[in-house]
Amino acid sequence: MTMSEVVPETTTAESTVDETPRPARTTWRTFRREPLGISALVVLVLLVVMAIAAPLLAHYPTGYGDVVLAPPSGAHWFGTDSLGLDVYAEVVWGAQQSLLVAAASSLIAIVFGTLLAVVGAYFRRIDAVISVVVDLFLSLPILPLMIMVAALVGPSTMTIILVIAAFSWPEVTRVVRSQALSVVRLPYVDAARLMTSSPVWIITRHVIPAVSPLILVSVVITSSRAVLTAASLAFLGLGDPNAWSWGRILYEAQQAGAMSTAWWLPLFPSLAIFLLVLASTLLSTTYNDARNRKRSRV
Amino acid sequence: MSLALFVLKRLGRGVLTIWFAVTVTFLLLRLLPGDPALAIASPNMTAGTRAAILAEYGLDQSLPVQYVKYLGQLVQGNLGVSFSQGISVSDALLERLPWTLLLVASSLVVTVLVGIPLGVLAAAKSGGLADRFVQLVAVTGQSLFVPSVGILLLYVFGLRLGLFPIGGAYGEGVYGGQWYLSVISHAVLPCLSLVLVQLGQYVLTMRSTLIDALGEDYVTLARANGVPGRRVLWKHALRNALLPTTTLVGLQVCLYLVGGVILIETVYAYPGIGRGIYEAVVRLDFPVLQGAFLLLAAVVVVVNMITDIIYGVLDPRVKAAA
Repeated sequence: MTMSEVVPETTTAESTVDETPRPARTTWRTFRREPLGISALVVLVLLVVMAIAAPLLAHYPTGYGDVVLAPPSGAHWFGTDSLGLDVYAEVVWGAQQSLLVAAASSLIAIVFGTLLAVVGAYFRRIDAVISVVVDLFLSLPILPLMIMVAALVGPSTMTIILVIAAFSWPEVTRVVRSQALSVVRLPYVDAARLMTSSPVWIITRHVIPAVSPLILVSVVITSSRAVLTAASLAFLGLGDPNAWSWGRILYEAQQAGAMSTAWWLPLFPSLAIFLLVLASTLLSTTYNDARNRKRSRV
Repeated sequence: MSLALFVLKRLGRGVLTIWFAVTVTFLLLRLLPGDPALAIASPNMTAGTRAAILAEYGLDQSLPVQYVKYLGQLVQGNLGVSFSQGISVSDALLERLPWTLLLVASSLVVTVLVGIPLGVLAAAKSGGLADRFVQLVAVTGQSLFVPSVGILLLYVFGLRLGLFPIGGAYGEGVYGGQWYLSVISHAVLPCLSLVLVQLGQYVLTMRSTLIDALGEDYVTLARANGVPGRRVLWKHALRNALLPTTTLVGLQVCLYLVGGVILIETVYAYPGIGRGIYEAVVRLDFPVLQGAFLLLAAVVVVVNMITDIIYGVLDPRVKAAA
């Protein structure tokens, strides 16, 4: 799911303000009753636990194994690859790498993107520049650009994080800005202007809290998209050659020409990517619906 | 506000976007740590040879001079010379462009043709069983990783069932009508993979725009006047929901499609731009990478410009707002 669809689904700023004193709690109460949302949350938590506990779950796959291209069995749950390495271990360690890249790059993109959005919404003169730059960025094909940069700088985890962050913030800015613009026009922001002359205070205490639900959704969507992008780069051979990632398993399988015979090689990393992205999408959709109960009545 | 002015404005924005792409590329190539000079001139060369090569590519001059020269060359359609193939970048890319356009265009057409009825089906009885099902399928489709879908289809329909060829763009040694048939059969699986991945977004946007349109006053009026429900849905509401959906998604889909086509061409060893990018990455052929990026950016910008202008011609409100 892209953020462009999220925008029409989110509440307008007015209804955020008009809601009962504890909007977060009512959202959670509605969310809890959605089986899809809860299962998505559980899947995400399990994947995060798997990533953190990777050293406990499997030995880091390195060197050569004894059996090459063995199908899934009791000894090797997900089979082995063309070097005889355990695919289960690769998927487990790949979760760590994928989630690290997703978390780090989306954190940078969210902080930078939100900051530009709220500052732009508050100071209208800067906003003109920001919105032009964002529009320009959003009309470029991002993947070829990232491929070019990653190939130029050389593949490493740091490169990938920075490249993804550098091309993800405009989407965040666009989404957050649209709501921040309506928030700064509300009477309570005008009232705040009468009470303090510090824009920093107004932005951090009044504007950012008002757009925070949108930021939360952005975090989930940006990181799930980062997982896909990182996997794409790794699939094209631009992943970190020293760390296992889901994309790299697919890349190595294709390089070894083992894709056609060893179905387990592409299957398990693909399933991992699918589960993660699907869970993130469902989570953000359910959260949006729960927050906007008007819509669920339609 | 005249139509000519609207078109002119839109053209100006297109040119601005392409200029931005060109400048971003230029700066990235020169300012990032990976020095293109290193890729063409190895540090092991003697100082003289190295200087000569750098001078030949104009890399010994100051940044502004290089930038102006670069722009000048681009305006003349000169994208430089490929490091690995020794031919001009524009020749290398133009040979591949038709294949990529074939995949992009066919998958866009199929997406729209399948997406509209599905979106209408879901919106007509929103909240119903069909709607829940379409939404579930659409969300699932959006979560797919393009190469995974490509590999799955390749494995099932290409290798196991043997219904379609597993790679390339056309059969060897076939001519005439047979050749066209082989082109189609080679394009089916890559095209289908792209459709599966992007269909969900199109359907979901179609659905929500149509639901909004169905809540408009003119729909209530038409119903009150006794126009049959089916006619209100397909004639009145759909017509108004179709145009915004198509332009909105045109932009998004176009952008993702460009990413998807690179990956899918890699899976199917399809001789398009995407495969070219992959090979250029492997060989660190920066002129080709840069040229391919600019070409893809230009395609996206031009497609969007055309859809916007058509939209402007068809919808009088856009002209008024421009």
